[in-house]
Amino acid sequence: MGIFLCDCGGSLKNIDFPKISGDLEKLEDVAFIDISHSLCLEEGEKAITSRILSENINRVVIAACSPELREHKFVRLLEGLRFNPSLLSLANIREQCSWTREGDVTEKATELIRMAMGKARLLQPVERESVSVNKEVLVLGGGFSGMKSALELSRLGIRTTIVEGKSTLGGKLKEVEGFYGLKTSPKQMLDSMITAIEKDNNIEVLTSAEVTRVRGEVGDFDITIRGGRKEFSLSFGAIIFATGYRTEILPQDFELKPGGNIISQLDLVEMLRAPEKLKRRPETIGFILDVCDENSRLPTLSSLNNALAVREKLGSEVYVFCKNLKVDSEGAEELYREARNRGVVFLKFDEPPQIYCEDGRVAIEAKDVLLGEEVVLPCDLLVAEERALPPEGTKGLSSMLNIGTDFQGFYQDENVHLYSAASARKGMFFVGGCRGNLDLRRALTDIASAVMGSYSLLALGEAVVEVEKVRVDPEKCRACLTCIRVCPHGAVQLVRLDTEKEVAQIYDLACDGCGICSALCPAKAIDFKGYADEQILAEVEAMGETNERR
Amino acid sequence: MNVDNNKIVAFCCANSAYQAADKAGKMRLCYPDNVRIIRVPCAGRVDVVHILKAFEKGAAGVLVMGCQEGACQHLTGNTRAKERLKYAGDLLKEVGIDRERVKMVNLAPDMAQKFICEIEVMMEKIKEA
Amino acid sequence: MNKSVAVIGGGISGITSALELANSGFRVYLIEREAAIGGQAASFCCKATEICTKCSVCLIPQKLNKVAVHSKISILTDSTVAGLSGKAGYFEVEVLRKPQYIAPERCVACGICARVCPTEPKAIRSPSPDAIPYCYVIDESRCLRLRGEKCNLCRGTCPTNGIDFDREPERKELSVSAIIVATGFEVFNAREMGSLGYSRYPNVLTGLDLERMFNRWGFLRLPSNGKEPRKVAFIQCVGSRDETRGYCSQVCCKYAMRFARLIKYQNPNTEVTIFYIDLQTAGKGFAEFYEECRGNIQFIRGVPVEILETSGELEVRFENILEGKVERETFDLVTLSVGITPRKDSWNLARVLGINLGDHGFFDTKEPFNSIETNVEGIFLAGTCQGPKDIPDSIAHGVAAAEGAMGVLEKCK
Repeated sequence: MGIFLCDCGGSLKNIDFPKISGDLEKLEDVAFIDISHSLCLEEGEKAITSRILSENINRVVIAACSPELREHKFVRLLEGLRFNPSLLSLANIREQCSWTREGDVTEKATELIRMAMGKARLLQPVERESVSVNKEVLVLGGGFSGMKSALELSRLGIRTTIVEGKSTLGGKLKEVEGFYGLKTSPKQMLDSMITAIEKDNNIEVLTSAEVTRVRGEVGDFDITIRGGRKEFSLSFGAIIFATGYRTEILPQDFELKPGGNIISQLDLVEMLRAPEKLKRRPETIGFILDVCDENSRLPTLSSLNNALAVREKLGSEVYVFCKNLKVDSEGAEELYREARNRGVVFLKFDEPPQIYCEDGRVAIEAKDVLLGEEVVLPCDLLVAEERALPPEGTKGLSSMLNIGTDFQGFYQDENVHLYSAASARKGMFFVGGCRGNLDLRRALTDIASAVMGSYSLLALGEAVVEVEKVRVDPEKCRACLTCIRVCPHGAVQLVRLDTEKEVAQIYDLACDGCGICSALCPAKAIDFKGYADEQILAEVEAMGETNERR
Repeated sequence: MNVDNNKIVAFCCANSAYQAADKAGKMRLCYPDNVRIIRVPCAGRVDVVHILKAFEKGAAGVLVMGCQEGACQHLTGNTRAKERLKYAGDLLKEVGIDRERVKMVNLAPDMAQKFICEIEVMMEKIKEA
Repeated sequence: MNKSVAVIGGGISGITSALELANSGFRVYLIEREAAIGGQAASFCCKATEICTKCSVCLIPQKLNKVAVHSKISILTDSTVAGLSGKAGYFEVEVLRKPQYIAPERCVACGICARVCPTEPKAIRSPSPDAIPYCYVIDESRCLRLRGEKCNLCRGTCPTNGIDFDREPERKELSVSAIIVATGFEVFNAREMGSLGYSRYPNVLTGLDLERMFNRWGFLRLPSNGKEPRKVAFIQCVGSRDETRGYCSQVCCKYAMRFARLIKYQNPNTEVTIFYIDLQTAGKGFAEFYEECRGNIQFIRGVPVEILETSGELEVRFENILEGKVERETFDLVTLSVGITPRKDSWNLARVLGINLGDHGFFDTKEPFNSIETNVEGIFLAGTCQGPKDIPDSIAHGVAAAEGAMGVLEKCK
């Protein structure tokens, strides 16, 4: 092996480099030890280049500043010299050694270098290869988010198939009254999107269809779709979940049930579409929020939108009972102020209100915090609060595919590394309502995230992978399924070999190199190049090593 | 068991602890030179055999440092490491080593102070013996 | 049309846009005003207690590292955009770069220059530990050479010849197909609310001060005497939802609650009170967290307007809305949860690029519900320069802007 030491411009004064060099060059598998002032600049590049081209070495150890800063540079240099960079081992003798104290750290530095050397001896080369990927994307759900995702992908030249459970596209777009500030009505939006999709050759739509099975990995998902009585398989490179959300009105928390003068937001929207059909104009409409779900933006946004529509189209008195208005969305505060300007009265409570029927009307009784008094408001109509829930089948689908859900049951684990639209499983994305983003603007950014994510994975039709960096030895594998169950990225599948034996196999493109499988495999059948057991142990074993005790 | 020196081996995950250690160096925060940092892609990669080997080869204490609970890029890596450490502690107890000589630490890449603090805590533990 | 994009601003959104585009094979010029990329959030802290609280600050170093090593991203620090010509697909961006006396591509951060610098305090200092590029910086007001005196100590001793005082400001023309504006925000200047005592009383801090304190030290201490605070108050909506700023900054309730929990986790005996108007508790992963907060943090509806310092303690006067009367309570430390405001120099960039500013002073979009496209085709917005957002939303927005830019780039093919 060849060893390069960097003294960082001569500034690492508490390391005696000549002593280290003298010590280590005595080892028989060390071809040379070079000391440089700046391995990361041209001086260093020249030194490394000339040594690699002239000497017959098959391992390189570099002791310098943190790999976080420089590893990529050395890797690129070695690649350019046709030296496999996975045969490089690094020791951090600056940030984690020289800079940690004033006094001499030569002994520590020497040991860190020995540890890197111990590992280097056992490193194996990893090759990089291009694998082809299927460029098509599956969009699950034909609501606003699904349709928009498909249209955006098409704009970027990617073909999609929308699988929608109902017989028509549109989802919640058919149930919304309007988006305040937007001139286009939801119906216009829906019509124009459907028209665009029909004309678009890149988009295929399957309605009254559902996905029954998903196999394979990113770049090559094997999806079984059932439509009508037919069942067929299609292959996709990525999957975007746009299955929306459903609402539940007045769950068991309330004593009353919807019906009569307790209506849902959808009921109100339908009323507002055809106000002339009303037998009697309601004089007072009350909205109630923050009773069954204090932590959702949906009731605030839909109530504000609909309250304004009521003022405009029906002229009724509108009262909104809430605890905390959720205005942390773009345009929400402006919506709130507009509503107040148009005469909507907001009453805030701390204790949940009482609701009861009296004289054919619904009465809300609450202590308004600003007035400091109990207020009793009889309404002709009470628009009940809705709780947003994940769509039907989320639980089943998420456990079948081993993708997480959050505290409320919506898609995606609550892990910041997955935000906004990604999954721990490469190639799967979640947008809009099904991941808990119930407002339009955030859904739009989710869609862009998922579209961009899919594009960068698939657009070239191929992807570069490190071949078998983590590999299951089929001889040792006993198909206990541990690795399949624990892989957070769903990168391991069970395959049947030609010999009829079933073994686990790791998909290079989906693997994220964490090593969890390798640590848990009871048969020690998984080899993780670069962090194999022997390699880590060799690092540990080099502690306390001297030239004699080798 | 060769415990003549009091080394501390810290298995540091590349996403959090290794960077926190780098930050401590950049801030020139001092800590004793008996600490050996081994970089791993995720705390979940660390196996019991690695920990035991560390004790065998001169470590008086082992720290496994990973991301905050719930913030692991590989979702469960740090929680699995924590479980494994309990088992490692059991094994250490059987051979007469205080189980608190192996410890799971959770931190974020900016937490240089916590990195130093945990090393000092382990040093104290070792001195107690 | 060449396949490159200029991203103006190297904060979390700009970095995200840059990475998305570079990963899809396009060249990106990341233009950053300061000497290091990372933006505001790079100085923020992790707010985990025994578990992660999803503040997402840890994503910044991760992304910064990826940007630093990406072969398709050119980082131009100390640079601003001075002019623009052309149109979508064929922009010519004029970049003005301040003279970089220490060249970032040559500095290895050995620190020898700082050791030999004769001034006290030193005119050359190490960068902040999170800085990328990790390059030493010269304080021009202290440097003897830059003040006209004769001194070449640092230049003479730099082992990589990285220091050159003869450097001039540089102008560069970049040919790009699309531009993403990601210039970020300023926090509300709490001095504007004089009655709250910021900068008069040492123990009145802003949320930003807290971020930096925890990032640097890992714990909270009173600025006045270095002791641990026993009673801490958070005042919400400072600079948001008021007369002149009719919007919610979206981040303050969450960060206040996260800090409150963190403070209580570090010292369970500390009392924490949050004064609010409407608590913003929606958002992925927050509902559960909020439930935990309710147990040990006091929430009072009603935002105080005056803080007085009496015998070392801070007296907060507020209207207890529930009781309907004015009350006073004393605290050792008051944190003003300041909101997100547009950068005051946005108008300059708006003028150079020909894009509009909206009602609140943030950059405006072409139409409502399109949060990325400006009135100029090919120029997109990413992050808080378009409106208040938290870190996860800023990242998502950065990706969305990249996707928008992709639309222009795709037309090239």
